[in-house]
Amino acid sequence: MTVAKFNTVITPLTQWVNLQQPLDFTAYCQVGGYQAAKIALTEYQAHEVLEIVKNSGLKGRGGAGFPTGMKWSFVPMYAPEDKNAPDNKYLIANADEMEPGTFKDRLLLEGAPHQLVEAMIIAAYTIGANKAYIFLRGEYHLAAKRLQQAIDEAYQHQWLGDNIQGSQFSLNLYLHCSAGRYICGEETALINALEGKRANPRAKPPFPQVSGLFGKPTIVNNVETLCNLPHILKNGIDWFQGLAPNSDAGTKIYGACGRVKKPGLWELPMGVTLREVLYQHAGGMQAGLAFRGLLPGGASTDFLVAEHLDTPMDYDSIAKVGSRLGTGGLIVLDDKNCPVAMVLNLMRFFAQESCGYCTPCRDGTPWAVEVLARIEQGQGRIQDLDTLSKLCDFMWIGKTHCALAPGAVEPLRSALKYFHDDFLQHIEHGCCHYNPSAIAKRRQVAQSSVQAVTTSSNMTGSANE
Amino acid sequence: MSEKQVTIFIDDVAYQVSSTDNLLAAVLSQKLNLPYFCWHPAMGSVGACRQCAVMQFQDSTDDNGRMVMACTTPVTEGMRVSIKHHQASEFREQIIAAMMTNHPHDCPVCAEGGECHLQDMTVMTGHSVREYQGTKRTFNNQYLGELIGHEMNRCITCYRCTRFYNDYAGGKDFGVFGSKNQVYFGRHRDGALASEFSGNLVEVCPTGVFSNKVFSAHYTRKWDLQSAPSICSHCAVGCNLSIGERYGTVRRVMNRYNAELNGYFLCDRGRFGIGFVNAEQRIRRVKGVNQQSPVALTSLDIAKAFAHFRNKSFLAIGSARASLEANFYLKQIVGAEQFCAGYNDDEMIVAAQHAQLLAKHKPPSLAAIEASDFVFIVGEDITQTAPRMALSVRQALRHAAKAKAAKLGIASWQDSAVRTSAGNELSPLFLLQSTSTKLDDVAEQSLLLPVGQFANCIRVLTALLQKSVLNRHFDLQQALNQLATQTPLTEHAQAFIGSLFEALCQAQQPLIIAGCSSCQGQTLAEIEHLLQEIKQRSAADATQLPKLPQLAVVPVSANSVGILSLLDEHTLSISQVLAKLKHQKNTFQGVIVLEQELASLSDSEIQQLRAICPTLIVLDHSSTRLSVLADILLPVAAVSEGDGHYVNYQGQVQRFYQVHAPVLPIQESWRWLDTIAGTLTVNGAEFSAQSQTNKKHGLCQSLAELHHYFRQTFTDWPQLVLDKIDAGTTKAFARMPHRASGRTAQMANISVHEAKTTQKIDDSLSFSMEGQPLERASDMPFTWAPGWNSNQSINQFQRQVNGQLLQQKAAQYITVSEQVLKNPCWQLTEPEASSRVTTCAKQDHIASADSMLVSYVQQANIYLSEWQAAQTAEFQMLRASNLLSISAALAKQFGITKGQWCKVVLSSCQGITPRISHSVISQVVIVEQLPANLMFGNFPLSPSLAPCLEVYIIAAEPQALSDYLSAYNDQLMAAKKSKQALLERLKANDQHIPIRLLSGGLDDD
Repeated sequence: MTVAKFNTVITPLTQWVNLQQPLDFTAYCQVGGYQAAKIALTEYQAHEVLEIVKNSGLKGRGGAGFPTGMKWSFVPMYAPEDKNAPDNKYLIANADEMEPGTFKDRLLLEGAPHQLVEAMIIAAYTIGANKAYIFLRGEYHLAAKRLQQAIDEAYQHQWLGDNIQGSQFSLNLYLHCSAGRYICGEETALINALEGKRANPRAKPPFPQVSGLFGKPTIVNNVETLCNLPHILKNGIDWFQGLAPNSDAGTKIYGACGRVKKPGLWELPMGVTLREVLYQHAGGMQAGLAFRGLLPGGASTDFLVAEHLDTPMDYDSIAKVGSRLGTGGLIVLDDKNCPVAMVLNLMRFFAQESCGYCTPCRDGTPWAVEVLARIEQGQGRIQDLDTLSKLCDFMWIGKTHCALAPGAVEPLRSALKYFHDDFLQHIEHGCCHYNPSAIAKRRQVAQSSVQAVTTSSNMTGSANE
Repeated sequence: MSEKQVTIFIDDVAYQVSSTDNLLAAVLSQKLNLPYFCWHPAMGSVGACRQCAVMQFQDSTDDNGRMVMACTTPVTEGMRVSIKHHQASEFREQIIAAMMTNHPHDCPVCAEGGECHLQDMTVMTGHSVREYQGTKRTFNNQYLGELIGHEMNRCITCYRCTRFYNDYAGGKDFGVFGSKNQVYFGRHRDGALASEFSGNLVEVCPTGVFSNKVFSAHYTRKWDLQSAPSICSHCAVGCNLSIGERYGTVRRVMNRYNAELNGYFLCDRGRFGIGFVNAEQRIRRVKGVNQQSPVALTSLDIAKAFAHFRNKSFLAIGSARASLEANFYLKQIVGAEQFCAGYNDDEMIVAAQHAQLLAKHKPPSLAAIEASDFVFIVGEDITQTAPRMALSVRQALRHAAKAKAAKLGIASWQDSAVRTSAGNELSPLFLLQSTSTKLDDVAEQSLLLPVGQFANCIRVLTALLQKSVLNRHFDLQQALNQLATQTPLTEHAQAFIGSLFEALCQAQQPLIIAGCSSCQGQTLAEIEHLLQEIKQRSAADATQLPKLPQLAVVPVSANSVGILSLLDEHTLSISQVLAKLKHQKNTFQGVIVLEQELASLSDSEIQQLRAICPTLIVLDHSSTRLSVLADILLPVAAVSEGDGHYVNYQGQVQRFYQVHAPVLPIQESWRWLDTIAGTLTVNGAEFSAQSQTNKKHGLCQSLAELHHYFRQTFTDWPQLVLDKIDAGTTKAFARMPHRASGRTAQMANISVHEAKTTQKIDDSLSFSMEGQPLERASDMPFTWAPGWNSNQSINQFQRQVNGQLLQQKAAQYITVSEQVLKNPCWQLTEPEASSRVTTCAKQDHIASADSMLVSYVQQANIYLSEWQAAQTAEFQMLRASNLLSISAALAKQFGITKGQWCKVVLSSCQGITPRISHSVISQVVIVEQLPANLMFGNFPLSPSLAPCLEVYIIAAEPQALSDYLSAYNDQLMAAKKSKQALLERLKANDQHIPIRLLSGGLDDD
């Protein structure tokens, strides 16, 4: 094994990112592009690459954090002349980045498309796939253009197609632009969509590694996960693990949005604290606003509040405080925005994006929307809070067909915990305190209804007489 | 995965269940209540509705457990689960509550009310208080044709409809649209559903989204129906039905579970074709008999009318749609030498071959068909002539997918997992047809040939088989090439037979399906040779040969095999009957025609029959060309109005029970025959049942008595083991459910007197709601169990899910003899037959510059091919406009483009005199794989036209086309009007119902 010399690169994923004008094939090669693919194809057997990826400790960056090498190891491998071998295996890059508040993959897709192409060559080689797809979020028009250009260039220079660089390994890579559903980010729903079927998640087993796209062994990996591969191969396991201070390896692209001073994305060692991301990189809250809480990894993670800010942002640490690392994209809530309205907004999104397959998600999310909307408009009743926590339980893990509804529940159930007073205020005062016009309107309505009651009681009185 | 019994603990009680089941099926098999929606016993699990949640525990010390969906959880030895656990039961209630956020509260006006699975499950979960405050989503409903109603607001999104219609039955014009809580099940736009199995949506839907439109139009609640177990009278499969009646009108047909035959599903002909019972064409009056009493016709009247026929000889024409009893009695009355089965010469030859095949090979049940892994269908469009069998063939083809999934460790009940992992894998289906069929989409290969060439193809297959056994270094292509020189087969046909041969050799449970509707005795004979060949050789060398295929021959009618069992060397054909009448004028007094429309005769031949027949006695339930010409016309009971037996394609004898008593003088054919037997018989008075069982009127009172009499009198009566009827001691089964409501109010406008319920001694069913518990019945009139008001209640009556019924009788089979082959007229003469085949093949060329010699095949049609069902007004409304499929070569020859409206002139070949021509306006479809000498269409040709025709096609003139279209439209409008008129009459009828009908008794005294 050729272990690369000591390397000082600390932002491997984004080092070549250029959003204005991404590196074309030649420029990418000049900075060392496709070297890793060359190493993989010429120096290693597929199982050796698998071993490296396994040992590197790379975990899926799409949200679940499943070890990538282990996922790959479930793909059945066959000797070349094996009659039982399927006529194809597939690799799919999950570029359907639709998690609210998350835009990290977009950076990689628009800024360094060749990096993904190279990564996919390595991954496909490892699992023995000869066909690969990039399943791209439909709205990422610029990424689509740049990816297609990179793919075309890679074909031109024999980095895609038959017998890549004389290695006997062939790979055809296709770009597929999604028609636009959040659920397509779920890997089996993505596979169904790619097959031209309804984007419903599939029953598991069979797992895609064994029977995925068109019934063939298939690996679906997140874009950011894949983009780590060239660097791991080039720089070695020790380097990769050295990037992170804690148990998790490598770097992670963290992001922040909401009313912070500098919303954006930063590639940082895996396991930096929430506080560091929020205050050091995002610049803290905008003037006049105070921090209330945040969703650490996209819309489908639980709220964390001030007491959690020193938690390292790695999979285990975030899980310990009751949330999930998810995509690592912070959504920050300030003290001038209504948490009930925020949760309602998110729940509307999830209800809208439910595929409609299983009952808890299909009928539970709109029910939660109905209750939240009433509370937010000041029409809530105290028993609605019971209904909401019941609904949270109703849509929890193990009760639904896939992870969409449990994800939808996470912001709600944590908001009920951390922002309980806000819910109570809405119900007791019959209006939203974050909305001055609503308060004013509420006063007006209250006055006029008092008048109405007086008048109507007069009228009934006279009628009785 | 081999099946064995394992012990599981449900709420700490040990149960023995099958290891191959999922937990839900296991729970239901134990008759425990666990609610469910998306799971269906025949369609397996998908885990969509989440209704069947239970808690699973790791061991007896585990108190927490985890929630699992029973339908997607395999059963394992020692597993511990709880249905009653509060978490599980609360979750199940919440699931219903969630569904109810959108389900409208329209139960009072919903056709499903009272037999709604959703109602049952709601009550089962205990959900009763509504917490949801919001509005409900609404949908637009679609027009889905005359048979199925649509009310989407009621949908709870269980996905069963699409899983049945698209996945199970292969329908294409229906599906799922939308997402979130706006999932819509329907067509891409309004229009009649095209599947032959659309009616099952009504039973598959757990609530009232899909309804039986015919039933809804003249609606009654399930609990007000009087039902009886019956057998479908519309094809030879013999599906088990439950027919429901109220106020003397048949209201609907529901599936009656039979594990070996129809399972849970029916075809639309079986479900909706019952309309003929209520139709205007019914014969309700006796003709040619003087009625003395002003009240009713008496047996004395009949005796008088028939008195002068005493000791006169009659010829008789039986029918494959009349009961076994009626046909048998008829044959005995006139004598075997005077009996005709209603077949013409060609049909007799086919029947003889069919009898021979049945005598040698026991046909598989539908369950056995579903277990096959190779299917070869020859010359029968079973999708239209035996649709339920076609549905089973579709399931058989999934064998490959299930086998592949099994390799991945996926059980066959994991429906969605099987379909995602191996959805496209199909076991081989080969079609040798003369028309395209609705199984083409799942066929590995399909070959279209004129009917005459089928036998050739099978002969080549047999020859291949012989060669492969004789030659150790067998080369398929070489063998085919050799054979090609001996028989005139196209390359395409050769390739087809080659692949067929290879697939057959690999099959473990091969199946061949043939039919009688193409009238090719030769084809059946060649199949017999093929099977014989495999049988003989496999005795010598079992390894090299394909497994012996099972054979199912599909005859035309419900009781075709019944009549086959009555054929012998004396049996006449129709032409022989005509000849006898003509040439032995003074020998015969006339002809008795039993439930026979003689469809194969042209109008002039019918007139001729009338002219040479001194006395024409017709027994039928609906008006035919013969009934209007009859001297004596006796109105007979339709299938729902009487008792009797049909024999299905397997030779299985199945009993149909009287659902309701018909209005007198209508009665079963065998009763009429019993009445007149004494006067007509050659043996004199001794013959009648009168002397045997002289109880009341001196006639057979019941089917049991009739059978008793048959058994005592005739040695050739098949010894059928019948229900033990002992009305005196055993309590009967109720035809009505316990909840038959308002029994006195029903007729309060006439009388509040509650009608006496009479026990008809014919059968073990009472016209009442009193009776034995249903689970003791072998043939259940309807299904209902406490807590289970819908058809899903069947799981309470099965030994285990998908198993036999608790009291299932062993199937009885009739023996079919080969006696009929002793008559040389009905033997296939080898050289003659083969020359017939080759002449047809030789005509594969263009006869002259502007016309071609072709054979025309009329496509079978599920709605209209069967005479009785075709009387149904809704089916008449489904009549399609003329459509002719021709080959590309023929289209080119005449310069016809796809979809063009044409005038097609068909005439008998030159040289045949007189030359007959037939011209039709038809739209033309071009089918690429069609040979140039074959075309098929959906319209009938005059029977006098020979199978080989000269054809001439030109574009239709605008005037002729518009004339045709307006005539076609008028036909549809007329059908619509007659449907409305019928409905009005039936509804008016409901207003004054004779008490006699309610009591159900024929005995008014």
